[in-house]
Amino acid sequence: MPTVSMRRVVITGMGAISPLGIGAEALWQGLREGRSGIGPLRHPDAERLRVKIAAQVPAYFDPAANIDERVLPMLDRTSEFALHAASEAITQSGLDFGRNELGVRTAVVVGTGVGGETTQDEQSKRLYGENSQRAHPLTIVRLMTNASASQISIAYGLRGPTYAVASACASANHAIIQAAMMIRYGMADAAITGGTEACITYGALRAWEAMRVLADDTCRPFSVNRRGLVLGEGAGIFVLESMEHAQARGATILAELAGSGMTADATDIVMPSADGAASAMRQALADAGLTPQDVDYINAHGTGTLANDATETRAIRLAFGAHADRLAVSSTKSMHGHALGASGALELVAVIGALRDSVVPPTANLDQADPACDLDYVPNVAREMPVRAVLSNSFAFGGLNAVLALKRAP
Amino acid sequence: MNESTQQQVFELIAKQAKIEIATIKPESTLKDLGIESLEAIELIFDIEEHFNINFPDQQGANFDSDTAKSLVDAVQKALDDKAAAGEGSK
Repeated sequence: MPTVSMRRVVITGMGAISPLGIGAEALWQGLREGRSGIGPLRHPDAERLRVKIAAQVPAYFDPAANIDERVLPMLDRTSEFALHAASEAITQSGLDFGRNELGVRTAVVVGTGVGGETTQDEQSKRLYGENSQRAHPLTIVRLMTNASASQISIAYGLRGPTYAVASACASANHAIIQAAMMIRYGMADAAITGGTEACITYGALRAWEAMRVLADDTCRPFSVNRRGLVLGEGAGIFVLESMEHAQARGATILAELAGSGMTADATDIVMPSADGAASAMRQALADAGLTPQDVDYINAHGTGTLANDATETRAIRLAFGAHADRLAVSSTKSMHGHALGASGALELVAVIGALRDSVVPPTANLDQADPACDLDYVPNVAREMPVRAVLSNSFAFGGLNAVLALKRAP
Repeated sequence: MNESTQQQVFELIAKQAKIEIATIKPESTLKDLGIESLEAIELIFDIEEHFNINFPDQQGANFDSDTAKSLVDAVQKALDDKAAAGEGSK
């Protein structure tokens, strides 16, 4: 047992902006129905780009709907997503940060792979493309990586530890783990955390094209005919609290964030390692006090690239042994796309839904089995089944692995 | 310049792999020559830039197992396609 007393951490609010709509429930309902958020790329330069598909937040998303008009000019699209999702999560939690100085004891940790890419792209175009001598004066406050975390802090008067976490595609999971650790060890009583990304810009799309990892048809995780990942965007934001804090105020608990595991492969900047991923999963199980047999579902990283899906399958076998064949494993990226630094947060909505409703969301577009991917991936149709405990995997370029372990609400 | 396509491609491979051009055989795979993963993607980019061509997308393609000859053939095909397209538009 650790020498310091560790507090249990629970989730009491969730919010999301995703390709499947506005709100966490829209995302979860879409996923359990197996609906796709992937469609033709909407972009002013779509004609001259090679990439033709993406998973984008619907065009009807209106940033002005519940953000103060004086704040809007300061926001990159990443912060618009994050503020909307935070508002939904905080409303659901019922927390009042003015009461008993809770704001002073609340942390904000938001993951993002890059931060203000839309702002960077727009201002670069002005300077280099249009030979403007002047960048917009709010460029810096829009694009800084911590902008989302800071805007949430300011909007709700949250004065605890506040910062951004960046670890490419694992940013959201790393951020959520940071927030949970602070509650666990008594540095905060509550935390607003998750991830946000808005990466559908001309420059970013060109960069992803050049890497040759984008699918041209759709995202087909674990299917032998998979052709790569589909870029997504959005935000998922959660309210975490110590369990005693939540219980004392009679809050509705959505799930318990029971443990986590973080490792680095220390091998290649892009090629994943099964050992690194497996050791993060093992750590998450041990940290949550779970045995492999306690786990019913894994929300996979499942990007739909050749390398990830086969390596992740091997990693799950390494970590779970014989129980791997009894697990339901699915990649919801097949529906919400790969929102990079926000992906772990969108996937946490799926995990909470699975624990709450006893339904595992499917892996869409899995139509041809791959001998190198030989687990039960819940192809194409959601499955009603008991879900007691779950792992949620995020693995990033840079060889960074961050795994969450969750249990049903106590 | 009458330098053959093969000569130019081999020079680009030699530069990326930091090896003598004479060690490259048509049947050598990029992996044989020590070019793996991101280096292979970088080489593809260098070749595209050098010849001003676009290779078709090969999502999930394993460039590591491509041979030097297959790259030369792909470049030649892209150059021929470009020339044909140019004539067609006249």
